[in-house]
Amino acid sequence: MKNSFSVSHVSQVFGTGTARVEALHDVSFEADAGSLSLIMGPSGSGKSTFLTIAGGLLTPTSGSVEVNGVKYTERSKKQRDALRLDAIGFVLQAYHLLPYLTVADQFKLVDRVKPNGNLSKEQLDEVLATLGIQNLVHKYPGELSGGQQQRVAIARALYPDPAIILADEPTAALDSARVEVVGALLKDLAIKRNKAVVVVTHDTRLIPFADHLYNMQDGWLREAEAVVS
Amino acid sequence: MFLALKEIKKEKLRSGLIIFMIVLIGYLIFILTSLALGLAQQNTDAINGWQAQRIVLNADANTDMRQSFLTQKQVGKLSNKEALLGETSVVAKAKGQKQQSAVFLGLKSSQFIYKNLKLTAGRNVQKGNEVVVDTAFKNAGYKLGDKLQLNDYKDKFTIVGFTDKAKLNIAPVVYGRLSSWSALRGIKAGPVGSAVISQSKTYKNTNAGVKTYTKQQVINKLPGYSAQNATFILMIGFLMVISLIIIAVFLYILTMQKLPNYAVLRAQGIPSKVLVGATVSQSLLLVLSGLVLATVLTIATAAVMPSAVPMAFDIPALAEVGLGLLVMALLGSLIPIKSVLSVDPVSVIGG
Repeated sequence: MKNSFSVSHVSQVFGTGTARVEALHDVSFEADAGSLSLIMGPSGSGKSTFLTIAGGLLTPTSGSVEVNGVKYTERSKKQRDALRLDAIGFVLQAYHLLPYLTVADQFKLVDRVKPNGNLSKEQLDEVLATLGIQNLVHKYPGELSGGQQQRVAIARALYPDPAIILADEPTAALDSARVEVVGALLKDLAIKRNKAVVVVTHDTRLIPFADHLYNMQDGWLREAEAVVS
Repeated sequence: MFLALKEIKKEKLRSGLIIFMIVLIGYLIFILTSLALGLAQQNTDAINGWQAQRIVLNADANTDMRQSFLTQKQVGKLSNKEALLGETSVVAKAKGQKQQSAVFLGLKSSQFIYKNLKLTAGRNVQKGNEVVVDTAFKNAGYKLGDKLQLNDYKDKFTIVGFTDKAKLNIAPVVYGRLSSWSALRGIKAGPVGSAVISQSKTYKNTNAGVKTYTKQQVINKLPGYSAQNATFILMIGFLMVISLIIIAVFLYILTMQKLPNYAVLRAQGIPSKVLVGATVSQSLLLVLSGLVLATVLTIATAAVMPSAVPMAFDIPALAEVGLGLLVMALLGSLIPIKSVLSVDPVSVIGG
């Protein structure tokens, strides 16, 4: 199945009257399998609102979101939960790993909720090795550095083998060498594992890995011209 | 359960402290329950032993056997399911023994209470100057053949038998003849006894000046019985509420610390029911662990407790109390559950 993700004419308004803020203006966006899209923009430009709606955590004021042909916006909260678990991998800046689960247990938790369709042991080992955390599986989050925790969070998001990967500042806590690794991993996931990868970031170090580059400014999304493939 | 077990395993000190508190509360509740049951039994052992269903007393006796006098006319005709008895408080003493406060119960040898008396040693009363006494006398050093002085009555009574679980209103019972009761009370004519005990639920005495009560009505009017039970129920109830507060507060604090983690899990599509299940499981596991340890402590206490201490370790009653604590654990997890359900996964996007 071709993994695809589209946002059609999405607008989002918060508040009313003088407190009314239009966070997104008629945003349309498509990400196909095999591509890595980078959405950049200053703080307050609407990137987080876009990601929140794209991930089905917020129903937009108008417009729709479609994941693999399924209209997210027409689903119930429970159905959106199930779809998110199954089809969307969230890589968040705030990784907040459960402190009482070892790295290995973080994946076991996913197995308990979604027993089928997750990465095989070999595939997981490969992801862990790529992220350089294969020797940390028996450690608790409290025993890891911020960068290591971020990489575990990335592996956790990838473990359910989602069709779409939505990443919120995935390299915020990483040094340049690890940015290269994570950028290459995300790109690799897009190409080799046929995923649609969407990254919201300030980090210009990820630009070389992007197939499509977008700018978000005051709630307007525009495709940028400069993309290095 | 998975999350709850992992958290308890990782946070040993934190979980240990909660369990420790549950152990203390559980142990205290078990001991108080045993004490309440023990004292209640010592109030009612004799009445329960007769398998009484209805008790007839003088209508002006305020449901108190000790204050009741019945005439032959009031007693009327009795079947084999009824027995007449006379009750009076006595102080028993024998040479070389400590004084014992007791209840003298005069029986008729032709009636069921006398016939059904279960002896642990000796034989039943055959003469007016013989008595069968509760084993409390034996525990106090009295022996078969000892001569008892009851109050200031001129004649002495010989202990010819011991019987178990024969206490009325905490005091050990001294069973004798109904004629001895009359003699002890100085009655020469008129009253023939204090109460008619019936094993039949349908028995009703309609004679003038008497009233038929249920066993429970009479028990509830035993001096101090209801007040004592109410005190214990109040104490146990308070401890239940305290355990509820402890569980709720601890779980709430633990849950509040985990809300950002839960928000990420919710963002990733982990259903709320998994997180709610973890909170409930954690609460139940902590309380269950505490209860198991409290039970072990209670069993150990029961093993070393002297028989003079009025405690009854009744397993069904203690299980009910344990179940009550588990219900408290469930209730205690409701407030944290409300927090878990209100977790907003949007809060972890951006920053």
